[in-house]
Amino acid sequence: MPGLRRIAFDEKQRFMLALIAPAVLVLVFFQILPILTGTNASFRDWHLNDPKKTWIGLTNYAYVVRDQEFLRIVLPNTFGFMAASVALSLIAGLMIALLLNRQFPGRWLVQTVILLPLMVAPVIAAIMVRWMFNDQFGIINVMLELLGLPPVAWLTQKWTAFLAILLTDVWLWTPWFALLLLAGLKSLPPEPFEAAQIDAASAWRTFRYITLPMLRPVIVVCVVIRAIDAFRTFDIVWTISGGGPARATEVFSIYAYVEAFQFLNFGRGSAAAVLGALIIVAFAMGLYRILNRWVEVSK
Amino acid sequence: MTAPKAVLAPRSPGFFAALAPGGRRALFLLAIIATCLLFAFPVCWLVLTSLRPGYAVYYVHRGGDFTLDNFQEVLRQEIVLKALWNSFAISTLATVLSLGVTVTSGYMLSRFRGPVPTVWFGAIYVFRCVPYVSWVLPLYFVTRAVGIFDTYWGLLLPHVAVHICFFSWIMKGFFDGIDPSMEYAAMIDGCSRWGAFLRVALPAAVPGLTALAILCWLYTWNEFLFALILTAQNTPILTVVMAQFVHELGMEWHLMSATAVLALGPALIVTIFGQKYVIRGLKI
Repeated sequence: MPGLRRIAFDEKQRFMLALIAPAVLVLVFFQILPILTGTNASFRDWHLNDPKKTWIGLTNYAYVVRDQEFLRIVLPNTFGFMAASVALSLIAGLMIALLLNRQFPGRWLVQTVILLPLMVAPVIAAIMVRWMFNDQFGIINVMLELLGLPPVAWLTQKWTAFLAILLTDVWLWTPWFALLLLAGLKSLPPEPFEAAQIDAASAWRTFRYITLPMLRPVIVVCVVIRAIDAFRTFDIVWTISGGGPARATEVFSIYAYVEAFQFLNFGRGSAAAVLGALIIVAFAMGLYRILNRWVEVSK
Repeated sequence: MTAPKAVLAPRSPGFFAALAPGGRRALFLLAIIATCLLFAFPVCWLVLTSLRPGYAVYYVHRGGDFTLDNFQEVLRQEIVLKALWNSFAISTLATVLSLGVTVTSGYMLSRFRGPVPTVWFGAIYVFRCVPYVSWVLPLYFVTRAVGIFDTYWGLLLPHVAVHICFFSWIMKGFFDGIDPSMEYAAMIDGCSRWGAFLRVALPAAVPGLTALAILCWLYTWNEFLFALILTAQNTPILTVVMAQFVHELGMEWHLMSATAVLALGPALIVTIFGQKYVIRGLKI
């Protein structure tokens, strides 16, 4: 191959490289280099208060994959949270998109209100939820009391705390789904719907056999992006429960952070982080395949 | 709860048809009101709490005392003022830098075929999936080694890195939607490649860029994990300061809420003024 020896690029290649050079540089120094540093640290005995940095092979990984906390609590929590959050916000977002796809007076106002969670920082949302679910003075318990029900100590039990976190995430992300799905709905061609109307198809059948299949590419893209992001959720869990009570609501990001910066075992935290990255990248690759197939099928 | 499509009146007898003539409309109205309430209530409750004096905060639903003292008290703290300014500066600078870096990268992905764009696109997809903790923990050491820990640069550049993958992808979409024949015409008329990009393609992408700038600003303003790990006393960031309040102030919910409302304000203003650009730019 003669091209291999030629060092000078032609004008077009120089232009291409110049276009991506700044992005590549920042990516290499502030993402790839840290990932390599972290991978390196995960093979070492690296405590933040005692950085010996001796090579200990796979000891950190062995600890993490045998840790009952990681296996029994963190992994199920992470994947359960991901599945539940994506499913619930997809359904809610779809319903809202269908609602907003009609014309009615005040539609503009409703759309603005629904956009509200998109500008609320997850930390602020978490603070709101902590206050609303406060066991003594929170409005949720006040409402329960009005209904004659006993108050619930929401944030001090595992499943109620988990529910509060889940609802916060759904609240934060439903508008995102709704907006993208609404854009998708508006770009659908009207003919199939007119045909369905002529054939007197019911609303449900129109939705099930026309809207849903035609909307599938948008839905798949939304679900993939959101699933990957839900896997790394940190801020709302950290602010609402801090992973508690007694580490019962820890998700993967919290586990790695706590191991590294609270138990000061940077090597072990890095090992957990690398494992999580491998899991989600493999997962994303699989999703990408499915996405490609589905989107092509529907074209 | 499947709201029927706009133009369609369901004709087969079903749940909706079985309702009285006004029933379906009432149900629809109810659904709209319930949705609005669900999304607006938590924010309204936060604002209401922030307006209550300290002695009345535990019974927000009772009594009618309102005051602005909470905001005064919060703003008297130097760290809050500093954090407000830092958050604003970081968000603005990160937006400018991220857009500048990704617009060229997205243009390249959109206009060229071959091994380089393919590899770059693959890298972007993979690195977008890597969870933030996997690189923000060691990033702490990297920024320390370079000597930019706890400075503006030490937070700015990682933020740009966060945006590179996703924004390059979206920018590619913007440029895909712009017909390249104008650029070819400009190049035939003697424009250089850079000229064609800067004078022809870039102006056509401005609506998309504006939308992305607004989203990027909001995202950086709201970001938490990077700010938590990469900053210390010198550059307090608003979200981190608030999260510390949760643990330190504990019970002082009126001050907490006031800080949160202060943080919400700029985001609200940006969204209200930017909404139409976002909708136009992303073609929602």
